[in-house]
Amino acid sequence: MAQEFSLSREAFLHLAAEAGLDVSSPHMDELFPYVEAQLAGLRSLHDIDVTGAEPDMAFQPAPEGRDGK
Amino acid sequence: MDGIELCYASAGTLSRLVQSKEISPVDIIDAHLARIEATEPMLNSFITLLPEEARAAARRAEQEIQSGNYRGPLHGIPVALKDLFNTGGVRTTSGSRVFDNFIPDRDCTVASKLHQAGAILLGKLNMHQFAYGPTGENPDYGHMHNPWDLELISGGSSGGSGSAAAAGQCTITTGSDTGGSIRIPAALCGIVGLKPTYGLVSRSGLTPLSWSLDHPGPMVRTVEDAALTMNVIAGHDPNDPASARVEVPDYTTALTGDVRGLRIGVVREYFEAPLDPEVEQSVREAIAVLESLGAVVTDVSFPMFNDSQAISGAILMTEAAAYHRDLLATDGDKLYPPVRLRLEAGLFVSAADYLRAQQARSVFDRQARGLLEQVDLLAGPTEPITAPKLLEERVQAGERGIGTTAALTQYTRPYNLTGFPAISVPCGFSEAGLPIALQLAGRPYDELTVLRAAHAYEQATEWSGRRPPI
Repeated sequence: MAQEFSLSREAFLHLAAEAGLDVSSPHMDELFPYVEAQLAGLRSLHDIDVTGAEPDMAFQPAPEGRDGK
Repeated sequence: MDGIELCYASAGTLSRLVQSKEISPVDIIDAHLARIEATEPMLNSFITLLPEEARAAARRAEQEIQSGNYRGPLHGIPVALKDLFNTGGVRTTSGSRVFDNFIPDRDCTVASKLHQAGAILLGKLNMHQFAYGPTGENPDYGHMHNPWDLELISGGSSGGSGSAAAAGQCTITTGSDTGGSIRIPAALCGIVGLKPTYGLVSRSGLTPLSWSLDHPGPMVRTVEDAALTMNVIAGHDPNDPASARVEVPDYTTALTGDVRGLRIGVVREYFEAPLDPEVEQSVREAIAVLESLGAVVTDVSFPMFNDSQAISGAILMTEAAAYHRDLLATDGDKLYPPVRLRLEAGLFVSAADYLRAQQARSVFDRQARGLLEQVDLLAGPTEPITAPKLLEERVQAGERGIGTTAALTQYTRPYNLTGFPAISVPCGFSEAGLPIALQLAGRPYDELTVLRAAHAYEQATEWSGRRPPI
């Protein structure tokens, strides 16, 4: 089952400041509950069995350079 | 052929008339500009119109063709591009006033290929801001409207492409599809939308939404026109790091009408999700038509379908926020508030969760590919509902209420995760007269089979010939 999700407002504001957002803006009052809801919606990712699966983003160096030359 | 007939003629039909010099590109462009003038105040399909440039290009095309220099089936055919496809010398806003004055110095690869093929650019099409939304809302340039009912959404994010093609404003339009943004407006507006295999059509010169999910492709009125457009825009591009090195066939060879022996899997879970009964009935009837044409239809199970929203959501949010992070710091307050919230929320997804989503995507992809070892195509609805009202946040899908965005992307997101080619083709109308669509998805780079089945279905039914009341 997905873990219980909780994000304190203090942690949210810390992360927002780190992300370059203006934490003194009243907009934060709207953003905080939105972020809470969005992140809660992602918790079901942890219900998926990913044992042995690599992230689907393998980097493959081009043998002759990016432009093929 | 009078003006309105020119506007609703397919590129295939127009190209035959242009090649035989029975009609001039000048007449075609004039008819479309008149159609746009008459309908644009109601639809809001365009952000930028290029009437004089289009007329001048039509005159050049006419001279070239008269001189025996016919370039091919798109020569002299009207095209319009979603306004996140860079066009040299023509502003490209990505649906935001922040970029109202951004004029790229060169064409994106798709625009360049269409230009080389002789297609004539009518303008740049309206879109959900930064392509981040499936409803076609845009207060900066005006919300888009559905030609079948102006109070309803055209869908998004390529909403202007959907309404322009459906209303006969343009013959060929393009869209980009990150979670369904080609197929959603195609379904809601009653046209054909093809999301090609990831990497088959270059993303170079398009404003990204999510690097690993973005797919450019055609939005047109017939399957033949999708094939004709793919013949021009598909192919390797060294300027796109994700561009595939694959041989590009002549996609019109798929238009045989023959689906005998084709194995079509009907995904059981698609019909257990929230789904309007009218949509279900039309889609099941469409699958029965394919069966009557000789396809072999079987039920298949895709349990991870139910995980697609979480996986896709995590990847989309994070990649979109990464791309737009600087913009959020400098101009966040100038963005459409719902788009701003979505972009900002992505800043809070941890790297571990993003990578977890990419791991889950691998598992998801493996399961989906397993299905395509059993069958040649996967079939189901493109949308669980018909077009909802503008700004409606929740909709009813059968007996279940659901958020509008979740509903509209329910069946489309899985194929952005896998990169499979997927087409939306009209398959009926609701009692209220609104389009319903069938989605067919195939193996990577097997657009031929997807187009073959869609074309056979289209030819066996009359849905694609209907015109909206506008």
